[in-house]
Amino acid sequence: MRYSFIKPRQKRLVSAEFQLLFFFFSITVGMLFASYSYLKIKTIMYESNVETLLAKEETLRQNIVDMHEKIAFIEIEKQHSEGIYTANTVLKESIHNLFDLVPEKITLSQALLKEDELVLYGVTPSKEVYEYLLLAPLRSIFHRSYTSYYAMPNGWYSFVSKNYLDRELAVQ
Amino acid sequence: MKFHISRQMIYILALAVVCLIIVFVFAFAVLIPSGKEYRLARMEAKKVSYQVDVIQAEYDNVYEKLKALQADNRHIIGAYKTIFNPDRFKKMYEKHFESFTLSELSTHSRDGEFAVYEVNTSSLIQSPQGFYDFLDAVNKSDNITGINFPIHFERDANLIKSSFTMHVYIADQKSKTAETQVEQ
Repeated sequence: MRYSFIKPRQKRLVSAEFQLLFFFFSITVGMLFASYSYLKIKTIMYESNVETLLAKEETLRQNIVDMHEKIAFIEIEKQHSEGIYTANTVLKESIHNLFDLVPEKITLSQALLKEDELVLYGVTPSKEVYEYLLLAPLRSIFHRSYTSYYAMPNGWYSFVSKNYLDRELAVQ
Repeated sequence: MKFHISRQMIYILALAVVCLIIVFVFAFAVLIPSGKEYRLARMEAKKVSYQVDVIQAEYDNVYEKLKALQADNRHIIGAYKTIFNPDRFKKMYEKHFESFTLSELSTHSRDGEFAVYEVNTSSLIQSPQGFYDFLDAVNKSDNITGINFPIHFERDANLIKSSFTMHVYIADQKSKTAETQVEQ
């Protein structure tokens, strides 16, 4: 038996309006969370990237310092070796000049070269030959020259010539 | 006209207001700060990236300079690191002398960054030219070697007896001991 002329509406737990409201708010909240997640992930990525870059920067800075030290050390080595090579060349030239200085008439038996001193032992036909041909050029190089002569049975003289460079005078 | 609001409508409106409040609270309390955080992180990353680019350029410059310097001074760098071997040295330079003997290498002193080892030598030469050739050749040797005073020349029949001191320089930046640096 029917008591109403209309059909009874089907009862729902949540009405259509509620469903619509939930739907739109769900989308809104979902979008908000998606944006939040995107920002968070990107922020973490940037922070991680910054950490990596800072570590790289530190490594590069340390490497630059190390390389500058290496460059400085190579420069020191270069200067030092050039000094030694120059000293060797100067030494060669000095010995060359010394032997060129000795005239054919005078024979050397010994030569001792020190930093500020030259000692020559030799034989000369006469004192004059020694004085004109060897002592004069030696005096032009050294500050002090002392010579001792010893007469030989054949009329020649053996001599010992000591020549000194005075460091103080050389500096002036 | 009477405006009737149903109970259901009130619920819906209340829920809408609550949801709206949640959205605003979320936006202002969470989303905007995290947006600011993101912007700062991005700016920081750009700044650091620029700094790293500048330092990388400086690194490249210094690296190029170091490599060029190493290439130009390869012989010198190697010579300061080379272990002094008296037998090899003798073999290389005895051609300039009639006879050539080297004493044991001994620790002498320090010259700045370098350890100095001393070797006494005695030799016989036919003419000073042999000694000049030796001095020229020693500048191209495997070690940094300096010839030092006193130098003594003495006539010995037709030959010249010479004795002199050599200083061998070895870079020991890492304070290596003489035993590890020098092969006796």
